[in-house]
Amino acid sequence: MTGFVDLYTEGDTVLHRMDPRVKIFAVLMLTLLILMISSLVHLLILLAFIALLVALGRAPFSKVSLALRFVLRVMIMIVILWPIFDPSGTPVLATLGPVRITEPGVMRGITNAVRICCLATVWYVLMFTTPQRDLVRALVKLGVRFDFGLTLSIALRFLPTFSATVESIKDAQRARGMEFDKGSPLRRSRNYISVLIPTIISALRTADTLSLALQSRAYGARRHRTYLRELKMRASDGVALAVVVAAFVMPAVAKFFLKVPV
Amino acid sequence: MDPGIALSLRDVRFRHRNAKGWALDDVSLQVRRGQFVSVLGANGAGKSTLCMLVNGLVPHTVPGDLEGVVEVFGADVAEDSVAKLSSRVGMVFQEPESQLFCMTVEEEVAFGPENLGVPADEIKGRVEWALELVGMAGYNDRSPFSLSGGQKQRVAIAAALSMRPDILVLDEPAYALDPIGRVELYKVLRELKEKHGMTVLLAERDAEEASLYSDHIVLMENGKVAAQGPPKEVLADPERLVSLGISPPQMSEVASLLRSRLRSPDIDFTRVEDAERTIIERVLPAGRGAAR
Amino acid sequence: MIPAADSRAADDKIISIHDLKFIYPGGVQALSGVSLDIRRGEYVAIVGGNGSGKTTLAKNIMGLLRPTSGTVLVNGTAVAGQRIASIAHIVGYAFQNPDHQLFCSTVWEEVRFGPQNLGYPADDMDARVEHALRSMDLMSVKARPPFSLTLSERRRVSIASVIAMDPEVLIFDEPTTGLDMRESEALMASIARLNSEGKTVILITHDMKLVAKHAKRVVVMSEGKVILDSDPAGVFSDLEVLLASKLMPPPVVRLAYRLSTRGVPRDVLSPEELVLRIMMARGDFR
Repeated sequence: MTGFVDLYTEGDTVLHRMDPRVKIFAVLMLTLLILMISSLVHLLILLAFIALLVALGRAPFSKVSLALRFVLRVMIMIVILWPIFDPSGTPVLATLGPVRITEPGVMRGITNAVRICCLATVWYVLMFTTPQRDLVRALVKLGVRFDFGLTLSIALRFLPTFSATVESIKDAQRARGMEFDKGSPLRRSRNYISVLIPTIISALRTADTLSLALQSRAYGARRHRTYLRELKMRASDGVALAVVVAAFVMPAVAKFFLKVPV
Repeated sequence: MDPGIALSLRDVRFRHRNAKGWALDDVSLQVRRGQFVSVLGANGAGKSTLCMLVNGLVPHTVPGDLEGVVEVFGADVAEDSVAKLSSRVGMVFQEPESQLFCMTVEEEVAFGPENLGVPADEIKGRVEWALELVGMAGYNDRSPFSLSGGQKQRVAIAAALSMRPDILVLDEPAYALDPIGRVELYKVLRELKEKHGMTVLLAERDAEEASLYSDHIVLMENGKVAAQGPPKEVLADPERLVSLGISPPQMSEVASLLRSRLRSPDIDFTRVEDAERTIIERVLPAGRGAAR
Repeated sequence: MIPAADSRAADDKIISIHDLKFIYPGGVQALSGVSLDIRRGEYVAIVGGNGSGKTTLAKNIMGLLRPTSGTVLVNGTAVAGQRIASIAHIVGYAFQNPDHQLFCSTVWEEVRFGPQNLGYPADDMDARVEHALRSMDLMSVKARPPFSLTLSERRRVSIASVIAMDPEVLIFDEPTTGLDMRESEALMASIARLNSEGKTVILITHDMKLVAKHAKRVVVMSEGKVILDSDPAGVFSDLEVLLASKLMPPPVVRLAYRLSTRGVPRDVLSPEELVLRIMMARGDFR
């Protein structure tokens, strides 16, 4: 199996036990918070807190490093490119032809890189500790239509199948002497079509059976369906919710009403 | 209406929309409660259309012209919706991969009863019962994607059984399975028949397993019923099966060859064990140079 | 019986595999030391349950997968350093699912795709495509879109598209999946004809009836190893090996095995053969 990795890791930590609705709400709040804070120091404190969450969720090192490798690449790009395209302020640190590098530009680059890191890690924590089915179930509970939730969960479920199909199609065409990165642009586009069309046809054939299978299992039989596993809020979820709201409201009040720089 | 009749087709014809020929042409058959009926035929004989007719996918989802009467426990299929019929007719398709769509085995098996509005406690019981029945107990949290072909098909059977259907319809369920997957699958079907008295309609290309488990066999060719009756009668002539494009059971071939060689018309067996006994008792000692 | 290790001239071996090991990136060991020689013109069935390593082996021959250790020689040259496109001149691989391959708007174009990729001359292209279509009995549908055909026809188109590249070795991965008796017999007859015309055939399958009927040499795989290499009768007389490799011998083989204590030879492959043997054991043919 290639291409697709499910980040979820089984466990029995505080974060695993938390109601997925609370988790989704918390992640949204934290996202707002991260976007709101402009001080690098405060962002770093927040990052430390998020790192604590990663540890709390006992995410395995292999998956954390896999996830961070991607984030790190983005961060490096931001740190390098931001000052080049944002030359406002003084003092000027260096001038290379038309390019001017300023100290505030560099600082903003670093701040935004840290911000991206915070954002990514927060969402990773959610995915490390919540099975996809719970995410979908929480969305449905939060008011998303069941049809949409089901579609999303089918899409997620079929990602690995899909990725295996694409690999098999590529192999089949390679065995017919096709080389993806050779030849004229015209030839290359034809090469990609040779993968694209079988992929679409396979997907359509699968979708066809899928729709028959769904109907055969009473999909849409009643307006109100039941659920084997209902999501239940527990006292600890309430506490978590309170903490999250407080953590968001306090800095927001400080920033917008008390005009304290955060 | 006879309450002992699970499924009844009378003079049924079906033509797919925009198609020239009839996919099913003048088909009549009956499945009694508790019977295991196999429909055998080559590709294109009409097996899948027949299966989909039973739970209403034909003509409700797969459109076309339907003539004649199809009744499931006395209710006319043409008048009920697929969703409604699905609580009475459990359906298993060919492809293991594309009929399972949930993240876990448990969700897969719970999906049907959830749609039917069954209370959570009862669903739990049904899921455990169905998984036990197909030999997949304990696989609740596994992803269907990670299972072998045989396991996937057994989960598909469990997902149909959890709706507590009155009849189970299987459209070439062993289509993509390796030999072990096939053995696993048929072991489950055999238990459903013998221990639980499940009413089963099975479509197959190969007569090998059908010869062992069926109470009644229907042979199809080009949408028509070519012959039907008890396995003994229908399978007695392997040449006829071959002429219909159906691979005959090897034991029927052996029995038929021995019958003609020895001119003893009463030699008959379908199981390897019965064949062994018959040959040892009746065939081998009869010759002049019998084995010591 | 054909001996597994061959002492004849080296160039007689079209494929020579030595101590091949393959571990997938995820860490699954699919092949753990396979050694196997296949001679020009042979018809070899590679059998084994799912996960026994037979497809991984075939993909290593085609160069689609590269050995973790050990060597695969095709026509005396190591696969390791070669491009797949150059291996495709010698080895053709017909995948199990034809829908993973077909994409052109006509059968004719589909079959032309391979030889075009390999840069075969344009002047005999039409003859080449026509030959491939004829060998798979597809001339009547040459102008049709592949998607509109039946599964059996689509499978034959995918095979024709490999034949058109004129490889010496043809690998068929479960070619009869989904076909009915008539369709699979027609296909197996075409494959037998290709073999009699000199093609080396490697048939990957778990259909034991098919093996009994068509293969001349059977390689049984289990857990990434070759556990038996013999003619079909030899393989079928070793019931324990078959069961260990998760293969189910056909009923007639199981019956012959049970009757072997009564003086009926075990090495039967078909109902006809079994009945003949029974009549002989009876003494009817003295």
